[in-house]
Amino acid sequence: MRIITTDTCVSLEEDGQVFTLLEKPALPDYSNITKRPYFSVYYSEGETVWERLSCSMAKFADFCRDDPYLGCYGLILRRLYPMLLSDNRAKNLAAYGAGTDCMAYRVIQDFMTFLHTGSALTALAPSPFSLTAVSPGSCAALLYRLDTFPAPAAVCDAINRIKSGGLLLLYTVKETVPADLAALCAKAKKDSFGPCTLYSLTVDEAVMDFAHENGSEAFVLARASEITRRADDLQNLVQAMLADTALPDDAWFIAVTILQQTEELLLSLYDYLENDELPVHANALKEAVLNCYVEMCRPCGLTAFRDKLTQSSELFFTAVEQEFLT
Amino acid sequence: MKKYKMCMIPASPLENVQLLKDRVLLPYVCYRLFGESFSIVTQSTGDYPYLSYLEGTDFISLPEEQPHMEAAVSYVSGHSQDIDLLFLFGARGKYMELAHTYKSLRPDGVIYLKLDTNIDWANAYPLHDQNFSVFLEDCDIISCETRKLQSFLYKKWLRPVEYIPNGVWYPLYPEAGDVQFADKENMILTVGRLGTAQKNSMMLLYAYALAFPSLKEPWELVMTGSVTPEFQAEYDRFCKEFPPLAPHIHLTGHISDKQTLYQYYKKARIFALPSRGEGGSPNVFSEAAIFGCTVLTTGVDAAPDMTDNGRVGRISPDPEDVKGFSKELLSLCQDPDYLARNFHEIRSYMRAYFDYERLAGRLRSLVELQSLKRRRS
Repeated sequence: MRIITTDTCVSLEEDGQVFTLLEKPALPDYSNITKRPYFSVYYSEGETVWERLSCSMAKFADFCRDDPYLGCYGLILRRLYPMLLSDNRAKNLAAYGAGTDCMAYRVIQDFMTFLHTGSALTALAPSPFSLTAVSPGSCAALLYRLDTFPAPAAVCDAINRIKSGGLLLLYTVKETVPADLAALCAKAKKDSFGPCTLYSLTVDEAVMDFAHENGSEAFVLARASEITRRADDLQNLVQAMLADTALPDDAWFIAVTILQQTEELLLSLYDYLENDELPVHANALKEAVLNCYVEMCRPCGLTAFRDKLTQSSELFFTAVEQEFLT
Repeated sequence: MKKYKMCMIPASPLENVQLLKDRVLLPYVCYRLFGESFSIVTQSTGDYPYLSYLEGTDFISLPEEQPHMEAAVSYVSGHSQDIDLLFLFGARGKYMELAHTYKSLRPDGVIYLKLDTNIDWANAYPLHDQNFSVFLEDCDIISCETRKLQSFLYKKWLRPVEYIPNGVWYPLYPEAGDVQFADKENMILTVGRLGTAQKNSMMLLYAYALAFPSLKEPWELVMTGSVTPEFQAEYDRFCKEFPPLAPHIHLTGHISDKQTLYQYYKKARIFALPSRGEGGSPNVFSEAAIFGCTVLTTGVDAAPDMTDNGRVGRISPDPEDVKGFSKELLSLCQDPDYLARNFHEIRSYMRAYFDYERLAGRLRSLVELQSLKRRRS
């Protein structure tokens, strides 16, 4: 794929196919304006917005020649262009999924600075924690490489960082988007050329609601509540076991099943746990329950299992309380 | 409860001596507890006299013309319906195809992988390899041999890993049932390949020498196992250097007759494990413990598990710390009350947590749960 810039047009070209990214505005005196119509602070002399845009596109073509996302960068700048020129305010943008040393981001940053020295594009490290470090609703637009983090929760976390009316630019070189995101992408404007696709989604109320419901915060809270609910059920069961209360035959099996589910829930929240031993504590309690069950089936007259069940359950329930309830 | 058709396939051709070790014993005890049938599928490496201990086992020899694992994959392809529960031993790359073949033919079947690993190995697993990750996903139940490693793997793999230590199958040790503390002598015993870097035998020799002048009663040091030429030379030099100690240190050489070895366990009050590293708790530890020997070990991964965090044994953490090991050794030798009390404590502890029949009982419930999950999905 190539980016072709002429005096009046910037386009993508591949295998004889052409996609026009931007055409020079037909304002009669546009090219004579030193900078742009809306802006009063002049950064350099003699270079027009169009010239700088053409230059940025040429830099994409130069620096990202072998990058499979080259077409995506062109499509992104095409969608950003009207937004960046919409008013005389500094813009705060973030980019996620391509790492911090992506040359294309530097090119976009350069173009933004040209338009307004106070504008910034922050390339985030490829970790879910870097998204949480950005203030909610603070970005005018967020560039998101879908192929690196296709999880819907991560996309929703990204949306939560964008201000109302801002833009989410999801880009990919894959043919399909994850099924969980299909509905969201259907609401977006889709630009596609060759293997490159860009979904531009304006963050309105409906999109924000979707993001709040499906973001990692909601996910963590929902999981945490599932864990505490299971822990309550378990506590009653274990207390009954230790008190020698008559229990249905399958009570042990149910306890172990609940513990196994709890282990899996805890592991799914692992990155967010303060106590990273919690899943192991759940496993130790499962082991203690099973040991008591084995002792019940094949008694060898040892009290050690009961003591261990007491210890393991105290350790687990205290840890759950500290993690989720205090 | 359901009875399972069980099959154990080693990563490399099985040797006779391995028949009575964890890789076969745990599956075999599972078979006795909840199995319909049990087969060991391997290329042959010679005679298997120990099979006589494993009544009911179907020993299936794989053809020799192709590599072991290739032959095993062919076997599984043709016999998947005869396997409800597949036992694998060690997270070896060569198991990847086997596990995948079995799972594609028997999605309702259960794979149990016993890791047989230590932290160094566990840290070197190629998790970046997609096929290896798929292999771990194919394994329904994974267990490791130490709690320390379990905690480590939870953090590294983010999946449940059970703790199932290397245990004891009591029917193999009828002599352990009638051992009395009164029959024991002031004997410190170690068993292993003496002189290998891993077993760190020289450290024990020097620790004993340091403790020797402070011993109120004579204690014998018995070192059992094959001896490297280097260790033999060191030992000879040691005896010349410390002549008063020489009569108290005994190298028995390798003892192949189990009954003779058990006599040493019966007599020893202390079992010393000076190792630099062990993959899980070594079999010699379990054997010594069921005979009521108090264990003094270095800080191998399994040390807290073997001693119940220092309750039924002692840990000298640094394998290079001769003084520290000697101090613990001396303290044990000078505490006959603890040794007498611990004779019962360690045996009860072993009964509770290292008995393969109990471990297999726990495994049975885990298999049932997985089986249920598989059937539902």
